Amino acid sequence: MVSLRWLVQTLIALGTNAYLLFPFGSVIYQGPLKAVCHPGLNCYSCPAALLSCPVGAVQNFVAGLRMFGVGMIPNLGTMVIGYLGFIGTVVGRLPCGWICPFGFIQDLLYKVPLPKISLWQPLRYVKYGVLVIFVLILPVVLVDKAGLGEPWFCKLICPAGTLEGALPLILLKPSLWGTVTLYFWNKIVILSLIVIFAMLLSRPFCRVLCPLGAFYSLFSRISLVQLEFTEGNCVRCESCVRYCPTGVVPYKDPNSPECIMCLRCLDACRFQALDFSIRRPLPGPADNGAVSQS
Amino acid sequence: MPKKAFWLIILFTFLFILGINTGDLEFLNNLGNTICLSCIGVG
Repeated sequence: MVSLRWLVQTLIALGTNAYLLFPFGSVIYQGPLKAVCHPGLNCYSCPAALLSCPVGAVQNFVAGLRMFGVGMIPNLGTMVIGYLGFIGTVVGRLPCGWICPFGFIQDLLYKVPLPKISLWQPLRYVKYGVLVIFVLILPVVLVDKAGLGEPWFCKLICPAGTLEGALPLILLKPSLWGTVTLYFWNKIVILSLIVIFAMLLSRPFCRVLCPLGAFYSLFSRISLVQLEFTEGNCVRCESCVRYCPTGVVPYKDPNSPECIMCLRCLDACRFQALDFSIRRPLPGPADNGAVSQS
Repeated sequence: MPKKAFWLIILFTFLFILGINTGDLEFLNNLGNTICLSCIGVG
């Protein structure tokens, strides 16, 4: 399962960043695929990106809400909300574990042989604040004279934007150096901290700051894809806990909002106490309502 | 709670279709085809 996940992560990261003509053409890909959002965090200003970033898209929709006058219909961004909500309801945080390119980068950084540390658990709630404040509130509250807001998560925090968008673009277009502001250096500091912590701690950005992970995690307990725990098979060896990259205790809370569905706990458990299940949206007559134990 | 998931899937599908019919697709295409200056920290 672990090698399958690595293969899927690699193929998706390369497949969704497959525009290799950027050194010769328009610097970034400009085509119809940009109307589709990536299910994971992948900056749409990355020169090789084929798809749009869902977090950037939501912020830009929200940022434009106050520009519309009376009687005009604003773009509410319901397409992106519907798209992300559908994914969350069906598979929960599975895109974090299998699809997100920035999650994949953190997985690679964690392979660096350095002493490892644990996350102070209350920090995992910060990501919900990031989602509400930087993605939903600030872009609609802080607006210019025309009523247009800005994508504040992208501007102040997003390390994926710095790594995949800012650094390559500044290298490709040296003229941008002249317009660099303090925001750029702030984001370089944040990216550097994330890179350092990702070598010491598994997936620090996903667990602490990622607004997309926070959104998907709202569906972890009700999604159709779930982990099932069989109490009778568990001997409390804690093997699943040691292997979990996000600090979940699968035998206590198999469908924790922190679970990114990497399924390493399934590989770790020698007693088949954990299993992967896909529930039907509505229980059939033969199920008697008991479709899942979790 | 599969019933809750069922109704959420219906809701999100409706929102998705609503967005497509109110110009979200075009908005997103235009957005994705421009360089995000906020992402870079310039300007």
